[in-house]
Amino acid sequence: MTRPGAGPSVAISQQDVRRLCEFLYRRTGMSFADNKRYYIDRRLAERIAATGCGSFADYFAMLRADAEHEIEHLVNSFTVNETYFDREEHQLRCMTASLLDELLTRKGPDETLRIWSVPCSTGEEPYSIAIWLMEHWRDVDKYNIEIVGSDIDTSALQKAEQGIYGERALMRLTRDVVARYFKPLSPGKYQIDPGLRESIRFTHANLVDAADMAQYRDFDIVFCRNVLIYFDDASRRIAAENLYDCLRPGGFICLGHSETMSRISPLFRIRRFPDAIIYQKPGADHDEQQ
Amino acid sequence: MPLIRRDDNKTAAPREPVADAAALTAALGDPDPDRRWRAARSLGSDAGAVPALAAALAAEQLPQVREAIMTALLRIGDAGAVAALLPSLRAQDAALRASAIEALQAMPEATLPFMTALFADADSDVRILATELVRNMPAETATPLLCDLLAHEPHPNVCAAAIDVLAEVGTPAAIPALQACASRFAEVSFLRFVVAVAIDQISGAEH
Repeated sequence: MTRPGAGPSVAISQQDVRRLCEFLYRRTGMSFADNKRYYIDRRLAERIAATGCGSFADYFAMLRADAEHEIEHLVNSFTVNETYFDREEHQLRCMTASLLDELLTRKGPDETLRIWSVPCSTGEEPYSIAIWLMEHWRDVDKYNIEIVGSDIDTSALQKAEQGIYGERALMRLTRDVVARYFKPLSPGKYQIDPGLRESIRFTHANLVDAADMAQYRDFDIVFCRNVLIYFDDASRRIAAENLYDCLRPGGFICLGHSETMSRISPLFRIRRFPDAIIYQKPGADHDEQQ
Repeated sequence: MPLIRRDDNKTAAPREPVADAAALTAALGDPDPDRRWRAARSLGSDAGAVPALAAALAAEQLPQVREAIMTALLRIGDAGAVAALLPSLRAQDAALRASAIEALQAMPEATLPFMTALFADADSDVRILATELVRNMPAETATPLLCDLLAHEPHPNVCAAAIDVLAEVGTPAAIPALQACASRFAEVSFLRFVVAVAIDQISGAEH
């Protein structure tokens, strides 16, 4: 079948789509129902055209070999690449509704709650976590909270430290929240409040480098969204083990909505909370009792 | 403001002195699982550690430590590492078998020389699991391997497993072998069905 308007004439059959979907599910955990056929066809045709492949077979061979990081390009075409504040809000809700209560049962009053956003890109996620805690957690003033944002991309980290964002990045925040935590710089540009900006540490981190990751330890919650699915099998295992070492026993790791740790590593346990499915490092009292 | 910032790494675990290979190898048998875990992770850069890692894998009961041992073998990635992982394909523990398959799939070049022996294994369950090891190999490598298996494999379930992998990775060169397999097992209806599905998928036929 040739889909007009989906790029150059590339024949994509139902069997081709099935083959692609099986591969994607096995490789990334992303699953598409049959009613997504048109959505898949469009993006697949776009990627085939972009790579200059003459057929689905050629493209699929390129994808399987992950030549030119094609898996990343294809997955990006299926996912929302734009980063913005309060993205995947259900996990933030889960943090304040469920995770913190459980973590605090194991913490002394003077112990710091440590949260890590990796990769943090240009900073939207760690700032979102800070704002969410201050807006939605009644006990926020009772505890010391340390938030670290890390990324392998140093130019992204520089932008994170500057904390300047356009209106689209703030689209999910209410006007009141924007007024409380941002300063207008110019039309359509806002900068995070200096106090908030200075309270978050931004650092370079490479998830697959054990020596680099050794400096990150004792986190209670790690937000690690939409990066592991891009790694090859070996890197994914190494990254999962590095993340395991970064967490305290009983600590939680939040992955992207299209990722499942069961496809990434058996190291973590699945916890189902009302707002989200979260993965947990075993070893806390809670787990011992189960 | 409840948020605090630390510009040092006071909360990071103090770095342990780098242990030598002998100490790390000994630590693989330590009663403390954390020490075993850390030893396994450290030995992934030491090709000489394969025999110790293989012995530790055979003895280790804790899934997390087993995972670290397998990743260490995967990082070493040579023929010895593959040989150390292969016995896990015969394990009674399904999780251990699955972890071994994933590790071996991640090192297709090192695994390739073992495929002929694996496909000739006397245990059909091992042959079934071995078909999965081909899944991450290039199509040009995977297709003849699986076609050769289909040509002589006596067990329909092994053929079905190979056909399932071919449906994903096979090239059109597999179609004659698939058709021959369906003919050879003409009385096994499910095999005829999976062959038809695989041929459709490989050839991109529209239903």
